[in-house]
Amino acid sequence: MAQITSRITATAGVAAVALTLAACSPSDVEGATDGPVTVETWISQDMETLFPGDAGSYDNISVLDVVYDGLVRYDPETTEPYNYVAESIEPGAENLVWTITIKPGLTFQNGEPVDAEAFARAWNYTADGDNGLYSNYFFSIIEGYDDMQPETGDDGEIVAPGAVDELAGLEVVDDLTLRVTLNKPFAGFATVLGYTGFFPVAQECLDDVEACATEPIGNGPFQVTEWTQSQELTAEKWADYPLDETPDYDAIHWTEYATGETSSWADFQAGQLDLSFPPTAEVEAARNDPELSQRYVERPGSALTYLGFSLYDDGPWQNVEFRKAISMAIDREGIISSLGSGSATPADSWVVPGGVPGGEAGTCEWCTYDPDAAEEALRRAGGWPEGEKLQISLGDDAAEVEYFTAIGNSIETVLGIPYELNIDPDYFSTRAAQGYDGMFRNNWFPDYPLNENYLSFYASGEPGAGHFGWYSKAFEDKLDEAAQAPTLDESIDLYQEAEGILAEEFPTIPFRWSFSATYYSERLDNVVLNPFSGAPMLRAVEVTDA
Amino acid sequence: MTRYIARRLLQGAGTLLLVMFVLHLLTTVAIQLNGNPAQAFFGDKVATPAQVAAVEERFGLDDPCFDQPGNPCLGPFAERLGQYARGDLGTNLRGREVADIVGAAAPNTLRLFCVVVVTWLALGMVLGSVAARWRGSAGDHGIRLTSVLIDAFPVFVLLIVYRYVVAVPLNRWSKETFGEDSWPPYWFRPSFDPAHPWATVLVPGILLGLAGSAAFIRLVRASQLESYAGEHVRTARSKGLSEPRVVVHHVVRNSSVPVVTAVGLTFAEALGGAVITEGLMNIYGMGGVLWEAVRNDDVGLVLGIVTLLTTVTVLVMIAVDIAYALLDPRIRLGTDD
Repeated sequence: MAQITSRITATAGVAAVALTLAACSPSDVEGATDGPVTVETWISQDMETLFPGDAGSYDNISVLDVVYDGLVRYDPETTEPYNYVAESIEPGAENLVWTITIKPGLTFQNGEPVDAEAFARAWNYTADGDNGLYSNYFFSIIEGYDDMQPETGDDGEIVAPGAVDELAGLEVVDDLTLRVTLNKPFAGFATVLGYTGFFPVAQECLDDVEACATEPIGNGPFQVTEWTQSQELTAEKWADYPLDETPDYDAIHWTEYATGETSSWADFQAGQLDLSFPPTAEVEAARNDPELSQRYVERPGSALTYLGFSLYDDGPWQNVEFRKAISMAIDREGIISSLGSGSATPADSWVVPGGVPGGEAGTCEWCTYDPDAAEEALRRAGGWPEGEKLQISLGDDAAEVEYFTAIGNSIETVLGIPYELNIDPDYFSTRAAQGYDGMFRNNWFPDYPLNENYLSFYASGEPGAGHFGWYSKAFEDKLDEAAQAPTLDESIDLYQEAEGILAEEFPTIPFRWSFSATYYSERLDNVVLNPFSGAPMLRAVEVTDA
Repeated sequence: MTRYIARRLLQGAGTLLLVMFVLHLLTTVAIQLNGNPAQAFFGDKVATPAQVAAVEERFGLDDPCFDQPGNPCLGPFAERLGQYARGDLGTNLRGREVADIVGAAAPNTLRLFCVVVVTWLALGMVLGSVAARWRGSAGDHGIRLTSVLIDAFPVFVLLIVYRYVVAVPLNRWSKETFGEDSWPPYWFRPSFDPAHPWATVLVPGILLGLAGSAAFIRLVRASQLESYAGEHVRTARSKGLSEPRVVVHHVVRNSSVPVVTAVGLTFAEALGGAVITEGLMNIYGMGGVLWEAVRNDDVGLVLGIVTLLTTVTVLVMIAVDIAYALLDPRIRLGTDD
């Protein structure tokens, strides 16, 4: 038996080596130098779908950005929308009825025409609540949306499916004209149309949505050729692409990482990837590397991390002076510079300054660290109940726990309010159920570049509703007024006034803006970050050595 | 023998059912207490009740029992068993076939385990035998010290140091030395590459195997020492058998029983190491998939995978029992008890 054991061991060892050496050289599988010019980048491993109406994460949105074209695309400098697949987008009176004309002669990668019908079928499918898609809620602005949603009973269960399957407000006028009637006027409608959820889909795609979710049939410059889900994704350039926003290289290969970008750093250093960013521990080393720092781009991001209060519950936080005291007791600059090594910006507004039309810095008067004023405000608010702890709740994320510990310490030091962190793995459902008592973390990643997108989710419609339990009639009236403004510019101004009301009533406390940055390999050039999503703009990248 | 195997298979099936039911209860309670995973689907967006309900239905979480803490949700469990009986492993929360996920992840984990087991056996048998054969020598002390050092060095430290400190320079060096077109750069890639699975799983597997090998070295040493002192060895020697024959036939063979047992037992434990290794080296495998599934309250995926893993574990255990009998005729397989 001993021989057998050792024989097995030896055989297994030999087998492993033999399998490793099975092919003569690795390049039998993969051309190292003479193959197509491929940009190597990363996404997270949990990407589940590439169906436009169901895509809601950084990963599928950035993949779909090169696989599909929307009616509008956004200017990389100003983030303002310009027509791309659309020939024109014209608002009717009061911004209620919009007429969209589509450029002639465009097709999907399978040859089907990209016409008004292609948009109508995509929108109807996503707006149909029975399908349970991520981007469903975007269509709530279009007339007839409510009739497409399932009816729910008292326990939140579905008692009847949606009454109809098509949006009443969507009319295919002719092959290239689509008329959209909204529920209520909205001056920013054209801006929304570049979002992933509004991309057109081919009939072949709708005939088998499941297949289309892994093998999308796009109308953009790249075609998904292979997706080994959770491992890697390849898209090659579509030879017949009719429009002009397409790069010179041939393919994009995404490696999927379990823990996202930072785990790809070692591969970037080993030359396997063209784009990456280091984990926190290596940020300094990368920054101090004279050669590497030449291949670096950064820009402020547009995602806001902010603090909310359980305004649906009694507590000292019902007093606006108390909320101001908390805000002024948070040393944003100090916390961010010590923890984020500069990878974030202190926030003093609710809309990202410079990142979207209408965003301005400094709209929050009480977002500056001022211990004396904070104490004074706490005194006006009547102080904090003796012996109680302020609960600060957040999800289970190590980096955020560090930030929020620092926030808690800052508040305790300045105001003498003891705190406890409540790290809740089911943060999203607890928050949705208004289950917190005290303060809690929030994060907003905007869907489209318009200041309205940072504000409208505060409109809960009635007192006590929403994530915060905050309601202001003046605020909601202002949003309505802005939506009906005759021009987008006037509308943006009115949304700014709405932000002013938010700043006055102060239901939430802005904390920090995200920050986007990437390092890139020697062979890449013209690496530009999207000011809005922070993702490298793959359509703009140039590959220098082929 | 047949009766023994049949009895073990029945016991195995019972264990499997029990494990499935307990897991079903645990995930169900997690959903009931923590709230429905459908809500997490919307993240920071405020979803209407209709939107949440539609997503619950899509996720297969629309049975009202998921909202009633304490309800064992027997209906969905029976439904799932029926599904499994038809050979359908169901889907994960987002509608992806569990069979597809396992089909993609399991081969990678098996590759990893292959390398790990070979490393265990190779290191354990060689070093353990050497230490036992020359007990008390400098070599024995050295090997025992090494095994303590290996134990004291957690696997994740080993892997992190390898990945972030050693792999990148090694990878560059091998590219320069052997050329981009050779195998060594693949062996030292900091992450797994699905296009070259064996080459890129080799080093992580050896490291994980190394970390687990200390127990094997000590086990082999201890059981061989026992054999050396055994009467059968004395008899063999007194019969005038050559030393190599005594060592191979009477010492190594007799001391293999506990080693095989340990391989079987450590198999399940190795999955824990696999979670860490897979996570760090970006290998898409069962450990990582299970880890994420539990984090996301993904009932279908957790149950599907654990059912498969339990099946494998039960089969491995039975195989180990049978291996006993083959290795040691004194161990009877209970035909007459």
